[in-house]
Amino acid sequence: MKKVININFQGRILPIEEVAYENLKQYIESLRTYFDKEEGKDEIINDIECRVAELCEDRLKKGSVCITEADIELIITSIGRPADFEAQEGFEANESANTNQAEPAAAQTSHITYNKRLYRDEQNKVLGGVCSGIANYLSLDPILVRVLWILLFGISFFAYLLLWIAVPSSSEKEVGGVRKRLFRDLDNKVIGGVCAGLSKYFGVKVLVIRLLFLIPSVATTFNWDHFHLFQFWDFDDFPNFIGLTFFGPGAIFIYIVLWLVLPEARTSADKLEMVGEKVDINSIKNTIQTDMEGFGKRAQAWGGPFEKRSNNTTTASDSNTTSNDTVLEKRKGCFYYFGRTVTILMKAFVYFVLGIITISVLAALFGIGVATTGLLPLKKFILEDGLQSWAFIGTILFFIWVPVIAIVASIIRKIAGFKKANIWVRSSFIALWTLGWVCLFYFISSVGNSFSKHNQPNEQAIVLTNPSVNYLEVTATPKMKYYEQRWFQIEPFQVFNDDTVRVRNLKIRIVQSKTDSFEVKYVTMSNGKTIAEANSLAQKINFNLLQQDSTLFLDKGIAITKNEKFRNQHVIMTIAVPVGKRFKITNKGWSQTNIRVNSRGIQSETMNHFGGDDIWVDEWNENWDNESYAYDRGVEYKMTTEGLEKIKSDYNAIYNRDDEDQDIDDLEQKLQKLKEDRESIEQDLEKTRAQKMQELEKIERALEEKKEGKKESKKEAVKVKKTQEIAATTPTGLSKVAVVAKKAEELNLLIQRFTY
Amino acid sequence: MDIQNTQSQMRKGVLEFCILSIIQQGEVYPSDIVEQMKTANLHILEGTLYPLLTRLKNAGLLNYRWVESISGPPRKYFVMTEEGQQAYQVLHKTWKEMATAVETIIAPTTNPIVNEAGAAQ
Repeated sequence: MKKVININFQGRILPIEEVAYENLKQYIESLRTYFDKEEGKDEIINDIECRVAELCEDRLKKGSVCITEADIELIITSIGRPADFEAQEGFEANESANTNQAEPAAAQTSHITYNKRLYRDEQNKVLGGVCSGIANYLSLDPILVRVLWILLFGISFFAYLLLWIAVPSSSEKEVGGVRKRLFRDLDNKVIGGVCAGLSKYFGVKVLVIRLLFLIPSVATTFNWDHFHLFQFWDFDDFPNFIGLTFFGPGAIFIYIVLWLVLPEARTSADKLEMVGEKVDINSIKNTIQTDMEGFGKRAQAWGGPFEKRSNNTTTASDSNTTSNDTVLEKRKGCFYYFGRTVTILMKAFVYFVLGIITISVLAALFGIGVATTGLLPLKKFILEDGLQSWAFIGTILFFIWVPVIAIVASIIRKIAGFKKANIWVRSSFIALWTLGWVCLFYFISSVGNSFSKHNQPNEQAIVLTNPSVNYLEVTATPKMKYYEQRWFQIEPFQVFNDDTVRVRNLKIRIVQSKTDSFEVKYVTMSNGKTIAEANSLAQKINFNLLQQDSTLFLDKGIAITKNEKFRNQHVIMTIAVPVGKRFKITNKGWSQTNIRVNSRGIQSETMNHFGGDDIWVDEWNENWDNESYAYDRGVEYKMTTEGLEKIKSDYNAIYNRDDEDQDIDDLEQKLQKLKEDRESIEQDLEKTRAQKMQELEKIERALEEKKEGKKESKKEAVKVKKTQEIAATTPTGLSKVAVVAKKAEELNLLIQRFTY
Repeated sequence: MDIQNTQSQMRKGVLEFCILSIIQQGEVYPSDIVEQMKTANLHILEGTLYPLLTRLKNAGLLNYRWVESISGPPRKYFVMTEEGQQAYQVLHKTWKEMATAVETIIAPTTNPIVNEAGAAQ
């Protein structure tokens, strides 16, 4: 039972089956697309429509009640589909046309080059025929493709499903022009047109597909662990972040596979098929169901191809009338597809590298932008007012933020498939960026100028209150933590108040003392625009030390005010250690207060920090410094005639500073608990003793009362027993108390050591 | 060398000439052209014929006329124009020369009488 409708088609009233009508409409539509570029396209289509109508009428005259699906199919075949026009591009001799129809479709695909397409191979399939289809298409052995496929199983599993759904089966081939097929859409491409093709196929906006490919890639990029730029000075992690984690490897792999495998939509017929018939859940289900039938048998028969392989060439040529053709074709195909694969892989690599570069530049600029913008409050302590400040702001705005915005905007445009920004937008971006460069150059040169000269060093001595101690420990005045958030920790500055910051630029040198007491000397250093300025700045540095017994406390830092800008003021302190005496430069206080320490020994360690102390090293102390010793922080040394001798290190404690803080708390808690234990045990003991004493008294009283009694001896025995009991309890309790007390004392000691 | 391509190029070359020579014999309906060529064992799809006719018409070699039909709306019949006649003569001459030349080259001893159908096969 079929529904019949009446249509007015080119001046004729035709009763036609609804399905047939749909097919006819689709056919006309496909013609319209095909002849789109043709001059006089309306006329051609009109003529063809007339002819179709005429043929339909002939059918009716011959006695048909209505035009059926089969009638339409016949008519369309006689007039031809767009695909046929392209295949023939003219007309074909009878012979050739016949053989083409007789041959299996799979052979035909390899036979006609300009119509070569990717089909799932119904004849040689195991599962869905994807592998053999690809093999056919690339003129390779299906077994090779299958083996490669299995090797890459993890990713290819999804790709297989995707292709299974997307690639038409070879049995559907003749439908042409109706079936939807997956192509690469070159008209809307950004890289290879894969995303655009997928979006056409699934009828989704191209933006969605691109994001699906991009998000897994970018997600790994912005993995916080790899994004140390926000920690500001930690530039050593930079290469890490452009490492292999950059792209979600899966997404990029699938993209390359699709790029390689999918044909480009070259002809208008291809483009028609690209948008073609709707693919819904039902059609997918149907495809899979039909394909799964008889899967078991085929899987068993899969061994076959191994034997057949040797005969392959002959069978292939047998099935073709033009045998030379196939051989030539296959050879050419091999080179062609090899070349194409190489080209695509090269292209993919280039795009990959370009992508990395773009994203890295973007991320770097963004990071620097955030960091420098964060530095703005400190600007007044470093930069001169006026032009230099403005150049700094200009650099941040135009050199850093403008390109960030431009790159982001252009990426969004690319992804969303918008047109390029118009000339005005682009040229104003370029103009602003040029301005940014100007600002940058002015800024660098002017700041460079401000730091260009340094003062003449002038060594001063500090008199220690007790220079003849055996052991000297250098540490910093605790504890002035300003920034709590680690991601925005601006070393080496510490804001003291609005008008003053403190800089802890200090280098400690260790030399051998010629006398038998410790000596401390220091040099204040500064840069400046002129030597006079540098000298005056260096003189203003106020450096204090405080000795308490064997501990030397360093000052809070060098004060920088708005008027006396930061011109790399720093202090080089020299400690002369007498032979045979010990010293330690602790790490603890400095790490907490962000003091900057440098010595030859720890350079590799401090290099990690941006603006590492190398900047503070100038040629003056490079030339001069050959008598000092390298040392590590947090290690106790003994000065000998040959040099330093390591005594002990508390490195573990240094690296687990946070744990250590916790340890102190823990220990304090334990101590508290032990104290409580001791008290409770003492109380218990007291109680028991009182109880026993009462019992004893009672018995004694009873004993006195019944002294005259006959059971005297028995009572005596009871008394002795009780006394023994008490005697036994008391020592145990007492020893318990002693143990607890000892533990508590130990803990107290520990805590004292930690907290000083 | 792409044999398939050469084959189709050869056919394409003579196609327009064949169609012109059919129309030259008198006013004709497109499907009649297909029929005539079919009897000569040359197959052409109507889908490719119509665009070709339109192209030739736009080039001024053909003209068409609406002819009333008994069964339905008027049908489009194609006739040759003066210009078309001249073009046909030129093509005809070229064809004869070429056929002779080709025959002489491939089989020097045989009689160089050829018709279109034979050549196309």
